[in-house]
Amino acid sequence: MIQSASLLESWTQENNQLASGCKLSPHVFLLLCLSLSGIPPHLDRAQLELSVVYNTCVCFTAQSQFDEAELLLTQTAQRLLQIAGDDPGTSDPSVLWRTALKSVTGTALHRRVLSLLCLQWGVWLAKSRLTAVQDFQEMSLLEAQSGAVWNDCRAETKEKISNIPILVLDPRRLVDLLKICTAIVQGAERLTEGWSVLSALQAASASPAPRALIAYTHLLSGSCLAHMNRPQMALQCYRKALETDPRCVCALYQSALIYSRLENSQAEIQALRILHSMLLLPSTTEPAMAAGRLLSPSLFLCSQSLSSLLSVPSALSVLHSLALKCVIHSRVSEGVECYLDLLAALQSEDQHGVRVHAVVSTLPKLPRLYLEAGAALLMARRPADCMALCDEVIGSTLDLLPEKVLLEDPVARRVAGSGEVTEEAENGLVRLLWTAAAYLLQGHCYSQLKDWKQAVTHYTRCINLLVKVHYKDTDKDPEQGVDLCVLQRLKGLSLAGRGISFAQIDRLREALRDLQLSRQAHPEGVSARRWYGEVLWRLDRKQEAAACWEQTWSNPIPSLSEALPVYAQELQSGPLLDSAELHQKLQELGPT
Amino acid sequence: MMEGRCAAESWAEFGLLGKSGTPLVKCGTGTDVFICTGGEEVYVFTAQEKTLRAVLQMPAAVRDVVVSHDEQLLFVACWSGVYCVNVQLLVPRASSLLVVGSVLLTLCRTDASWSLTLYQIQRTSQSDPCDLLASFSLPLVSPKVQSDAESRCVLVCVYPGNLMPASSPPHPLRSHYPLQPLLFRRLFGAEAALSKSPVVLCGLPDGRLSFLPLRIPGSRLRILHSLEQSVVFVGASAVMETDAGCAGCLIALGKQGRAVLIRAGRAGLEGGGGTRFTLGCVPGPVECACMDQSRVYYSTGSDLLMVDLWDGSSGTAGRQGDKEDEASRSNPAAFLTPISLNVSGVVALHQPTYSSAGEVQLLSLSVRGRLQSIRLPVRTQEDSLSKRPSSQVGRSVGDILSAIGDICERASVLKTIIRSKNQILKQLNQVMNISFLLSNRSESDLKPVRCRGSVRWSRLLQRDSLNLTCVLENLSPFILERGWTLSVTVLPLSCPLEAGGEASSVNYSFPFSGLGPEESVEVSLPVATAGDASFPVTVTCSLLFSLWRFLGQEEATAPLDLQSACFSLPLNTLTVDWLDALRLSDPPAPARSSSSPADLLQGFISSRQLRCRGGGQASRPEEYSARVRVSSELLRDALGLAPGSPRVSLLEWLLSEGCGGVKMERKGIKTDGSSSVICGSAPDNATVKLTAEEVNVEEKTKPLVTVEVQVKSSSVAAVCGLHHAVMRRIQTLLQKAGSSRVVPTADLRLALQQAEEQRGQVWEASSVGVSSGQTPPLLLRVYQQLRDGPLLIL
Repeated sequence: MIQSASLLESWTQENNQLASGCKLSPHVFLLLCLSLSGIPPHLDRAQLELSVVYNTCVCFTAQSQFDEAELLLTQTAQRLLQIAGDDPGTSDPSVLWRTALKSVTGTALHRRVLSLLCLQWGVWLAKSRLTAVQDFQEMSLLEAQSGAVWNDCRAETKEKISNIPILVLDPRRLVDLLKICTAIVQGAERLTEGWSVLSALQAASASPAPRALIAYTHLLSGSCLAHMNRPQMALQCYRKALETDPRCVCALYQSALIYSRLENSQAEIQALRILHSMLLLPSTTEPAMAAGRLLSPSLFLCSQSLSSLLSVPSALSVLHSLALKCVIHSRVSEGVECYLDLLAALQSEDQHGVRVHAVVSTLPKLPRLYLEAGAALLMARRPADCMALCDEVIGSTLDLLPEKVLLEDPVARRVAGSGEVTEEAENGLVRLLWTAAAYLLQGHCYSQLKDWKQAVTHYTRCINLLVKVHYKDTDKDPEQGVDLCVLQRLKGLSLAGRGISFAQIDRLREALRDLQLSRQAHPEGVSARRWYGEVLWRLDRKQEAAACWEQTWSNPIPSLSEALPVYAQELQSGPLLDSAELHQKLQELGPT
Repeated sequence: MMEGRCAAESWAEFGLLGKSGTPLVKCGTGTDVFICTGGEEVYVFTAQEKTLRAVLQMPAAVRDVVVSHDEQLLFVACWSGVYCVNVQLLVPRASSLLVVGSVLLTLCRTDASWSLTLYQIQRTSQSDPCDLLASFSLPLVSPKVQSDAESRCVLVCVYPGNLMPASSPPHPLRSHYPLQPLLFRRLFGAEAALSKSPVVLCGLPDGRLSFLPLRIPGSRLRILHSLEQSVVFVGASAVMETDAGCAGCLIALGKQGRAVLIRAGRAGLEGGGGTRFTLGCVPGPVECACMDQSRVYYSTGSDLLMVDLWDGSSGTAGRQGDKEDEASRSNPAAFLTPISLNVSGVVALHQPTYSSAGEVQLLSLSVRGRLQSIRLPVRTQEDSLSKRPSSQVGRSVGDILSAIGDICERASVLKTIIRSKNQILKQLNQVMNISFLLSNRSESDLKPVRCRGSVRWSRLLQRDSLNLTCVLENLSPFILERGWTLSVTVLPLSCPLEAGGEASSVNYSFPFSGLGPEESVEVSLPVATAGDASFPVTVTCSLLFSLWRFLGQEEATAPLDLQSACFSLPLNTLTVDWLDALRLSDPPAPARSSSSPADLLQGFISSRQLRCRGGGQASRPEEYSARVRVSSELLRDALGLAPGSPRVSLLEWLLSEGCGGVKMERKGIKTDGSSSVICGSAPDNATVKLTAEEVNVEEKTKPLVTVEVQVKSSSVAAVCGLHHAVMRRIQTLLQKAGSSRVVPTADLRLALQQAEEQRGQVWEASSVGVSSGQTPPLLLRVYQQLRDGPLLIL
């Protein structure tokens, strides 16, 4: 008996040495654990054994070895039942634990068993077995009993008895951590299922926990409110989340989305700008919390729906949408800067692009990015830069163009589905559109430079490319695809451009023909119509011109939209007709 | 204290400890244990799986090992300095590495896919030395195909134009190739070209050649081509002089020698301008390969070969432009003709380097682990030869002579192989001839190759045995060459009841070497021993030919079973029956004047036995007999016997004439003149007596002279067997005589009546006997009646 007592003491000392050491590894504890489990279970040693098991499992969990931890926990529960002489006859862990807990109620072991149960809770949470977690919450074991027991525990630690085995992690802190993590994960799960979880989340946000976790609760509340169509309250929640944890970039992103929904473009651009600069800071995506702590909260926050709620697009994607927003909402110079930054980032040696976009990319294809940037440069009156970009695009695509593109029936295409095959098959068309758009932009550039001959040349190249696409002219189907729409737009714009250029060098017949064709290809084109009128006027067909102008009066040039590529829209870059002058002309004509 | 023994478990063996360093064991990251045995290696061992994960080879003996606090770096102190090893990067199963700029790529096979993983190598910050950037995966085609997990993958990097990274060293990097911009665009698309992204090409062991543009957001591994055999080498070659250092052609070599050349088609030729994939083949297997501007060097293991890709005939294909180029493209086999460099056993090659004199130098590792430097001569052009200094000429002559010797040796080996193959073809022709000859005949025809047999009793070790001598005669015009085997199967038609009633056959094989036309070969085999009554015996002869003869392999190493690799041609079938096996003895009365005392003794004993039997009629229950009657006229006609004594001649004929192809070798039948009685002993040692006498039978129309053969013995088996044998012979006699005879019908009716009566008895016997157990005696009686009331054979 004396020997056994001294052995117990030495084991306890060993445990304490290991627990207070700076390097915690489950394997050193596991050895101790094994030596303890080699002897038959006994009440005297149970205290020590449970402590060692607790330490081992904490270390396992810290290294994400949940299976090992769970196995050890189950074995321990079974040993406990052996001591109590109770056999539930099942290996279901929840039944085991219930029985084990019942058997030790009122004894000194109760606290230890409870802390092990907490670990089991953590393992379930980490493995996203939420029903098991919920079961235990319904047992209300943790809520009801924890308070008293932990108080007891606090009293004991004050006594500082030397031979009490040290635990590597205070069970109270573990419980706190698990509570808020459970609230977050459950919140996220229910949110994706469409439930309202506001009250639970708001209760959790008041609990003592790391800032990052509190921020998550605010964030989830915000998402919940956004679902409930209360964008302003959602914005408030996101703001709170950001105030709690400034590194919560997700809140920023969600705010930007809400601003976009509210069509508050200035605020959206601002949010995107801040988001981008935060994403560029090192290691912002990883919540660098609990650096000194043994168990990181991220261990328990591995639910699928949570991570999809917390996901933030990459810095490059954010930069692209920022640039696009700027250009569309007439902050062209900012947009140009963003585009140039984006292109520089893509060209640079470092592999950010690879890193972030490995899984899925929201960025458009590179040539399209180039063309968008070119359009922005054109709008910013930097035609030389725009032409350089277009040259790049043309250089890389020109010799890949098909001789002829035959578009199938849209119905047949829809049947074929949007698989990879069709993507590959349409590549020819897509490339052709890129090249044509590049020529169109170059034509715009030359017309901006008032080099009309060159402009005509480039518009002609664009048109020549576009007529290579053959398709059945079925009745205007809105689902005919963006590509076909872009094709029509490009055709209309290039013809209009050439017509305007012809008009500038006084080849009015060609101008009239092109503008007429342009109106056929793209009836909504405003500048084409105005110029059509102008050419008619110059050809002394003033009545027709007046009629044409009257028509265009009602609808001004539409502002840019996000639905189509910027370069396929009217950029107002070319020579403009002064509307006052037109009015004057009409009035001259008026009396007749 | 603690009870029981402590357990020491052996985890791994690291050999003897070295002397120069310090033995160490340290725990490291996770479950890793670092072990140093005092030599230059640090072993990384996982305690969890108990396997060796890595061996780090240090340049000098290891003194100490320490793990950094974040457990990412391992510092190893050697005699030569302190080295820093990144422990994190010990990626399991990484099969290939490539460094592109500041990115390290590893390709490894997981259970279901190939995964290409990118790590950032940050040279400046020590805190996080290798940052995982991204991982791309490509599913395996099928797990079965890729069982060759050991085979290496090929990783190379290509750049558009001459856009090699600025930080690259002046000399060309291995596995990094600048590619002609046009080819690059066509292969990898506009996006890759626009981003000027380096593209990683992976050659996988399943033959797929996949690519990944590094700098394009959202790019993924895609398949460029499939070689359908393990990719061994991927390289690029500068074809045109106009390429200005860019390679215009991408080459991939497969393990079995398949090669694909990827070039850009001419612009405008086919609209979009495709890529030309030219398939070719070089003699495989390709162990390893490397290439310089236009030549591929590869090793088959037995020889190092050089393929000049663009040499064509005159070496000016590249310069003369497209016309010849087109020709070589259209004829892919033409341009992949390797030139032997006569170096064997090369298993690894490094990229060729050039000396100032223009010599190509290859660094190779041989299969025996030797590092070799292979120096190739300057390309053999006349002008360069003439300029060579005289000292070099002598050396080069020596080189050429040794090369000639080498080639001669190989040529002679090849000649021998060709000769032996021709020989085999000839033999095969003969074999086929014989096979057709023998297999086309029906059973009744006499085959041109056949067996004759004769039996003889012989005595060995006090034991009499019946030996069959089989003579294989080749009457065909073809030679049975070496490789044929005569296979003889001896199968008793019946066998004693105590053996289970199942006759088991015995097989004898006699390989013989060459049997010309009109030649014969004689083999001898035991058929039965004395006391063995399992006659008649069928002897089936067949000729076997094993195809393994042709392969030069003996049967021991043959992977196929003998049956499936054989021609088996059945010959004729011989029968050895009781008459053949009958041992004649003198008629009982006079004693023989034999020579040897043993024979004398045996004779004495047997005569005593006979006398005993003869005297002791009372002791023996009965003597069995069977009779056969044949008309004398028939015998005379069939046998052509002298009219005087048909009975003697009948007996003689019965005993001597080979029927079923087997002849008994007897010195002469001694019959007792007038009585015409033959005594002998059957194989089961029973005494038998054969008598033949002339009997006049009263037919209804006219008297008929017949010869009656009677078999008498105390053994039922002997009587049955001999009766059967006699009947068989007479049957053949009848077949010979033909069917022109008139059969009297009245007699037949009587015989029919008798037969019916006996059938009734048999039926009665079987029905009665079931209850009373009297079946055998009853049946025996019926049998006796049948045999005693013989039918007359006309």
